[in-house]
Amino acid sequence: MQIVVDHLSCVYSEKTPFEKRALDDVSFCIEAGQSVGIVGCTGSGKSTLIQHLNGLIKLKSGKVTVLDIDLSAKKPDYKALRRGIGMLFQYPEYQLFADTVAADVKFGPQNFGMSKEEAEEAAREAITLVGLDYDVIKERSPLDLSGGQKRRVAIAGVLAYRPKILILDEPTAGLDPAGKREMLTLIDSLKQSFVETVITVSHNMDEIAEFCQRVLVLGGGKLLYDTTPEELFYHHDVESLGLSLPHAVRVVKTLESRGFSIPHALTEKDLTQALLTHLGGKAHA
Amino acid sequence: MRDVAFGQYYPSGSFIHKLDPRTKLIASVVYIVAIFLCTNYYSYLACFVFLATMVLVSRITIKSVLKTVKGVLFIVLITVIINVLFYSDGNLLFGWWIVRITDAGLIFASKMAMRLIFLVIATSLVTLTTTPMNLTDGLENLMTPLKYIKFPVHDVAIIMSIALRFIPSFIEEIDKIMMAQKARGAAFDNGGLIKRAKALLPVLIPLFVSAFRRADELAMALDARCYNATDKRTKMKKLTLTWRDAVAAIVTAVFLTAVILLRLGLFGLLNGVL
Repeated sequence: MQIVVDHLSCVYSEKTPFEKRALDDVSFCIEAGQSVGIVGCTGSGKSTLIQHLNGLIKLKSGKVTVLDIDLSAKKPDYKALRRGIGMLFQYPEYQLFADTVAADVKFGPQNFGMSKEEAEEAAREAITLVGLDYDVIKERSPLDLSGGQKRRVAIAGVLAYRPKILILDEPTAGLDPAGKREMLTLIDSLKQSFVETVITVSHNMDEIAEFCQRVLVLGGGKLLYDTTPEELFYHHDVESLGLSLPHAVRVVKTLESRGFSIPHALTEKDLTQALLTHLGGKAHA
Repeated sequence: MRDVAFGQYYPSGSFIHKLDPRTKLIASVVYIVAIFLCTNYYSYLACFVFLATMVLVSRITIKSVLKTVKGVLFIVLITVIINVLFYSDGNLLFGWWIVRITDAGLIFASKMAMRLIFLVIATSLVTLTTTPMNLTDGLENLMTPLKYIKFPVHDVAIIMSIALRFIPSFIEEIDKIMMAQKARGAAFDNGGLIKRAKALLPVLIPLFVSAFRRADELAMALDARCYNATDKRTKMKKLTLTWRDAVAAIVTAVFLTAVILLRLGLFGLLNGVL
């Protein structure tokens, strides 16, 4: 078990007029190798939840164990924890700070105690991994890059210390459709080769349907569903939670309501396949 | 960072919250003057009683009031230490090299500390009980006479309200950036002063970058909504004085009179004591 969350609750600004219950008795486990999506409308506690996972918010009630590090211990080993669980925040490009791309990407590795040479090597590998040319880009200022490049550099800054688990908070927010596609392909390829587990927070249900094997649905700080995308989008009423349906699901449901019976597709590709089979079958009959 | 009080508006709907912002601003100026009029401990006691009453009436938790003091504690400490060490009048209690600790020095230092602390609490009480909008409205209104010397009152008011408005946003932003850098292994709370200052660089640079970006966007938004295209802006909520403000004015006047009387030593009895 890589991540075990047990009865986690969190209240902000306790006992003031601003008191807010962000998480309410949340429990789940994530095993190595999974690709998990976390969804929920704004204010449902998603961010708070993932910030707990790498010890950015102090655990007050409940128990969280990540990579065998018990966060309810008095002094958890935060360094080891954060090295093992890379976290990419929303709009990560706004957190670039160094003079050069190379220095920014090396920031993490050096904080985690890699030597200069190791960090250099790690930076080169990470930049290449995100599809940029290290030798071309390393001396440039991160602020002069294009939006998509900045985000890649920011991701490289996390990948450079080789985390086992990667948490992504809305990795495609603010990118154009092509940029989104590239980002998702990148994340998917990382999942295949570089990191063991990927946790993605997203509002985009199409992305969740396509790339996650499992979805956690949060609402009002509670864990409402912990299931597969197929189960969630076809058997639960996600729209009442303020979430949308993936486009493919919407098409299938519309067709179903008109009396067609089509396999439950989640992605564009599956849907096309399903439709072709359906039409082909009819043509043969 | 999320819990920084920094005099942020604390809603409790008390008597003080309902006062006109102008009343609160004037009262706080009067209070500051009074603090500097204080000479003996009795006048400090009067200041303390007044302030404590205000805090109680405002129904703001003592904790959040004290939090505002925490921010300036360092300055208070330095003031006290310098005054204790180098005040030259009075009877010498302890002397070494250029250090002279005297009884008068100790008394003076304690008074200075009280002054500073009262000052901070009183001014934060204004911001704690007044929404930024109201505060700038009040200030703008009070500064109206300056218009006659071509002082850009309205612009200054807008600048202030924008500044106040963005304090929470920046705190949030700092919070986010700190988290992101922490996630990359940055440590902010260990090491010496220089190491800590250096550790802040990865936070400050993105913060400045985003501050400039926000300023740009805000300027554009103001332009898009024709800011300053018309001469006279009207207000949706006009400030009005009520009976509450009369009560507050009387209380403040009584307080000021008391402090002045104490200073002049008109209570001859007390004068003999100190």
